[in-house]
Amino acid sequence: MTITSTPVTGEATKTWSGRSMPRKEDGRLVQGQGSFVDDGGMHGQGYAWFVRSPYAHARIVSIDCEPALAMEGVYAVLTGDEAKAMCQAPFFAIAPPPGSLMQEWPLAVDKVRYQGDAVAVVLADSRETARDAAERVVVEYEPLTPVTDTVAAADPAAPLLYDEAGTNVAWHGLFDYGDVDWALENADHVVKLDRLHFHRFTSSPLECNGAVVDFDRGTGVVSVLSNYQMPMFAAMVVGPTIGVPMNKFNFVSKDIGGAFGIKIGFYPQIAALALLSKKAGRPAKWTEFRTEHMLTAGHGNERTFLDVEVPVMADGTILGLKVRAFDDAGAYLHYEPLGAVIWSQVVPGCYKLKHVRVDYTEVVTNKCPVVPNRGYSRMQHLWLVERIVDVVAHELGLDPVEVRKRNYVQPEDYPYETPNGCIYDSGDLPRSLDIALELAHVAEWRERQRELGTGTGRRIGIGIGSTLDSGTNNFGQSRIINPDLPFSGNGEAAFAKLDLFGEINVNLGTTPQGQGHETTAAQVAADILGVTPEDVTVTTGFNQANNSYVGFSGTYASQFAVSGLGAVMGAAQKLRHQIVKLAAFALQAEEDEIELEGGSARVRGDEERAIPFIGLSNMVYTNNAGLPASLLDECDLNARYVYVPPFEVPDTVAKTGNLTLTYASQVHVCVVEVDEETGEVKVVEYAAVDDCGNRINPLVVEGQVHGATGLGIAASLYESLDYDESGQLQEPSFYEYHVGTAMDIPDVACGDIESPSPFTPNGAKGMGEGGGAPLHAVCAALQDALGAGAPVVSESHNHWARVYELLHRDPGAPRGVEVVTRTAEPGAGVESL
Amino acid sequence: MLLEQVEYVRPQSLDEALEILANDDGAAPLAGGQSLTNVLKNRVASVDVLVDISRLDDLAGIARTADGGLSIGACVTYDELDRSADVRQTHWLLGEVAAHIEDQQIRNKGTIGGNCCLSDPTNNLPPLLVALDAVMELRSRAGQRSVASADFFKGYFATALEPGELLVSVTVPPMPAGSGAGYTSLAVGADAKAMVRAAARVTLDGGTIADSRLVLARVAHVPVRDTDAEARLNGGDATEESVAAACAGVADGMQPIADVHGSSEYRRQMAKVMARRAVSQAVAAARGSRNGSKAGGN
Amino acid sequence: MGERGTSHAVTVEVNGEKVSRIVAARQLLVHFLRDTLGLTGTHIGCDTGNCGACSVIVNGKLVKSCMILAPQVDGATIETVEGLADGDSLSPLQESFHEHHALQCGYCTPGMLMSATYLLRQNPDPTDEEIRRGIRGNICRCTGYVNIVKAIRAASREQASGGRPVPAAAGEEV
Ligand SMILES: Cc1cc2nc3c(=O)[nH]c(=O)nc-3n(C[C@H](O)[C@H](O)[C@H](O)COP(=O)(O)OP(=O)(O)OC[C@H]3O[C@@H](n4cnc5c(N)ncnc54)[C@H](O)[C@@H]3O)c2cc1C
Ligand code: FES
Ligand code: FES
Repeated sequence: MTITSTPVTGEATKTWSGRSMPRKEDGRLVQGQGSFVDDGGMHGQGYAWFVRSPYAHARIVSIDCEPALAMEGVYAVLTGDEAKAMCQAPFFAIAPPPGSLMQEWPLAVDKVRYQGDAVAVVLADSRETARDAAERVVVEYEPLTPVTDTVAAADPAAPLLYDEAGTNVAWHGLFDYGDVDWALENADHVVKLDRLHFHRFTSSPLECNGAVVDFDRGTGVVSVLSNYQMPMFAAMVVGPTIGVPMNKFNFVSKDIGGAFGIKIGFYPQIAALALLSKKAGRPAKWTEFRTEHMLTAGHGNERTFLDVEVPVMADGTILGLKVRAFDDAGAYLHYEPLGAVIWSQVVPGCYKLKHVRVDYTEVVTNKCPVVPNRGYSRMQHLWLVERIVDVVAHELGLDPVEVRKRNYVQPEDYPYETPNGCIYDSGDLPRSLDIALELAHVAEWRERQRELGTGTGRRIGIGIGSTLDSGTNNFGQSRIINPDLPFSGNGEAAFAKLDLFGEINVNLGTTPQGQGHETTAAQVAADILGVTPEDVTVTTGFNQANNSYVGFSGTYASQFAVSGLGAVMGAAQKLRHQIVKLAAFALQAEEDEIELEGGSARVRGDEERAIPFIGLSNMVYTNNAGLPASLLDECDLNARYVYVPPFEVPDTVAKTGNLTLTYASQVHVCVVEVDEETGEVKVVEYAAVDDCGNRINPLVVEGQVHGATGLGIAASLYESLDYDESGQLQEPSFYEYHVGTAMDIPDVACGDIESPSPFTPNGAKGMGEGGGAPLHAVCAALQDALGAGAPVVSESHNHWARVYELLHRDPGAPRGVEVVTRTAEPGAGVESL
Repeated sequence: MLLEQVEYVRPQSLDEALEILANDDGAAPLAGGQSLTNVLKNRVASVDVLVDISRLDDLAGIARTADGGLSIGACVTYDELDRSADVRQTHWLLGEVAAHIEDQQIRNKGTIGGNCCLSDPTNNLPPLLVALDAVMELRSRAGQRSVASADFFKGYFATALEPGELLVSVTVPPMPAGSGAGYTSLAVGADAKAMVRAAARVTLDGGTIADSRLVLARVAHVPVRDTDAEARLNGGDATEESVAAACAGVADGMQPIADVHGSSEYRRQMAKVMARRAVSQAVAAARGSRNGSKAGGN
Repeated sequence: MGERGTSHAVTVEVNGEKVSRIVAARQLLVHFLRDTLGLTGTHIGCDTGNCGACSVIVNGKLVKSCMILAPQVDGATIETVEGLADGDSLSPLQESFHEHHALQCGYCTPGMLMSATYLLRQNPDPTDEEIRRGIRGNICRCTGYVNIVKAIRAASREQASGGRPVPAAAGEEV
């Protein structure tokens, strides 16, 4: 079997959307014919290698490039100072002051702020020479005290990363919804947790970053062949810095070897390479290798929650929560402090929490900058909420299943407005949970857990993780961070075209990294145009020259099914309209008599009166003499459509508004077996139920669920990025950073529910990020294994030593939780809330 | 990726290899390359010339010795150990441990010689070879000598090898009658790098342990025999309780290295658990009289 | 006498084609395949030999091509992902990966297919656990391995029920 797109055949019209179809992109990928960034290049290119700081925090005293430049084959070396001199401004800051004073340039200037910070970049005639030369660039540093602890960084006495800012706090804000003080006063119990910590890790795609950048001095055009996943964001950030207007960029990406948000972060490298290319007068190709990636490409947000207070009623109804959150952005504000508002897309998690106060502090530290990592910023908050719900159940001696069901947003509550004005579109959480419990054979495992009892050295734990995958951002939420920002809404563009011989082309502004856009876009277009997905060619990757993009184009934030396919639907419908118009003219029929089937337009009920698409193309492109001008005017067979989701600008003072369009839900159930003697944990059963509304291609959706689950399990048990006190990363390669292998990650039983979204053109919801459900489920399973009276599982990462410590903590030692029970008349008046 | 400039040579004979190694301080033998290539990629050490010994016949093959033991060429791979009928018959566990080193690709290239000569404390084979009383056969232009495995590992990435000397083979004596071996690891992930390992060999005399070897890895830079624990085991009952009692004091007084995977104290505790499990496995294997038996995983 | 130097003449048979090149001693096999021969199907995902994206079969043995120097393979027979399909006809494993959605970004896929091909040659009817052990050295960040295991299992079943077998190894096993 070959998997190629054949020209329009003539199969009967069917419904392709909603079917599990193997993917169109597979054919080239299984044969090693994909086109990934390092596979490509530009004529006359040199190879770039960055000179990076071994110190986490140091002043740059001097840089001597001469020894490198003296080497044969070295074209140029660019230092931070030189780069700055070639720039018009530092990178655009999302934050208002003081965050905006934490300036970043393409290469470090004056100071380095994390291990791996780039101080210079070399261009040479081979990869090897570039690296050899980079080692000969002599940089003298004056080491400074590094700041590595998130909470301590906020202390006014802490050493400063940016003297200009006068603080390490990049942003601070209070999110206060409902009346949490009242709830705490009137609840039957207040559950208090000292500290919960969500760890730093990276979903680290298998393909590292890379780019070939050419600064054409003749035309001023900057061509960027890269695997950037949000190209126009890069253009908007890099352009004003290096002085290039948007119409002089040409961003291109082809196949991308995974991204998970991480590939939103390397715009400084793009800028540095553009300047290097400008200086050297030839394209600069940079291929990042794994160690460089682990040190510098961007990590997920690390967040510490302090002083958690949870008002709960005796029946397990949770009224809300109060917490101080400290988020660690690392050394530069690459996408931060956007994360400081992104989490608020899911303020109450899956639950009807009404009174929520989060005191949120974003700090900079001498660590790798964070970037949006699959589940970006919501995952951290959802983990907090899930830990809370789980701990409440355990502390009050209630069934974790019942507590969840009691507090879930119920099916009849949709559309459900959260305390901060987000509208949850649809779902059925209780049923999702029931399905997951059954798929994971929880009843049998509970039995087994009882049988095992104590003294066997083995324990079973069963845990639930309920999350939301909020998709299709309203970028207006950025104004909650900085009211002066010129962003709101969202969108995506697509073209649908009938080509010269009647072939159908679709191209769009997304940058798929495995999500199967070529297939799902073809399914959607095929339905509208009366052909098969085979007949629709969807351009691979992103090409700015195609003009199918808007400012928010790219693939991130679980939005393709809505915005990407929304754009494809719109474009295909426009094209259909033109085809029908032309066919009606050609066949001397009324437009409403025309139907499209099998690559032809025909008159309903009259087999004889039909015209194949190639005939329509011929009329417009190559044989158009005599065609009425009005028809040619309307029917260029080239339809562009921009899908714009319906959003309002949020209230930046109250910090309320609808922040995303859709809320897919995931309910996961995890069963672990714990070795009491060692703390080793093995996931022995795992089930995931996803509800993302109408599924265009269930096979692809399920694949996303598998992937998000695998990464989440790996993060919960194996993957963690840790810095020592001197700011040295302890896991700078895959040798130290144990990535979950096929022997570590279990099989996953998948279930699904389809609750169509009433807000989207196709009833679909964005999905793919997954809300970090496995982290919640694994922690809950561990808590269950620990049993009554055990310490709280307070870390999102639980390696064996940590589990061992939890199992063997002195019974008298603090458990990290306290329950204060109100002695007065319980629950008076609370019902009314 | 992207190594420093380096020379490469593939000598046609062992003598030629020894000659090159003798004449050049910057020469390094290249066996399976599954560690050395990484060292070069990361430019953490520099080498003038790589002497490819992987195709030398003198370093290949597994032979049965007259006494029923094994003579294993230094360039025998983990996969060859895993699949060797001789190994499985005489020292089943050696094949099994080799079968659980990392992954198939590495097992197809990595060699017993390289695994030992690197003296990386995380490597799988050294503690087992010490527990099995293996002997390292070394050769240089000056001649051949034998070093007991217990004396071969000198420190973190350091061995008894003199400059210009090659490990040519490893001799593993036959398992004493009535003996069995055990091997356990506490690893970060399945078949992954270990935090603690223990290897044991016990010889039973009826219901008592007549003799024992207990070797711990990663509690120090080199595999160490816990002779105190061995003394407690020897002459004791071959029961769970008495083995547990003998292993309770394992690693006391040692300071295992702490890292992100666990504190020194945690590792000390784990050494006790791994030791007890390895000895119990060895006892079970001795009872089952399968040589060096019972899967110990990695 | 072996020749000593910083560059070496290397002759290999890659996917049935004999090629000779002068290579730098320091060049890794993966760079030789990708940069010198233009066989970019073999990928690079790490710099420590952990990920398996660069897996190829050399003289019948599955290896990671980033853990071998180009001069080391002189005289060898090498199979890469580009050689798996027979013209336009995909190998049973390639087809099975497609059918079972065993790839997303496709970056791990070439290495994964080489490991699976090697596995089924050694063990035509592996258990799920044996499949997982067989691809232990290949990291996939997209699929959680679920459909990869499924696809390999299906290909082995297909082979057992008289379907097309996995192509035999090229070159002798050494
Ligand atoms: C990702 C990864 C994970 C790994 N995980 C593990 C693991 O969990 N457990 C484990 O045991 N190993 C592991 N290894 C290492 C692997 O086992 C290596 O094969 C082994 O450490 C070295 O053996 P080699 O034959 O590859 O030797 P080489 O890499 O060729 O050589 C290693 C060193 O020994 C020297 N040397 C080699 N042979 C001789 C000889 N005959 N005489 C004198 N000196 C010699 C070399 O000069 C070099 O200094 C891992 C490797 C990788 C890439
Ligand atoms: S690139 Fe070879 S193992 Fe990762
Ligand atoms: S499919 Fe992306 S890494 Fe495997």
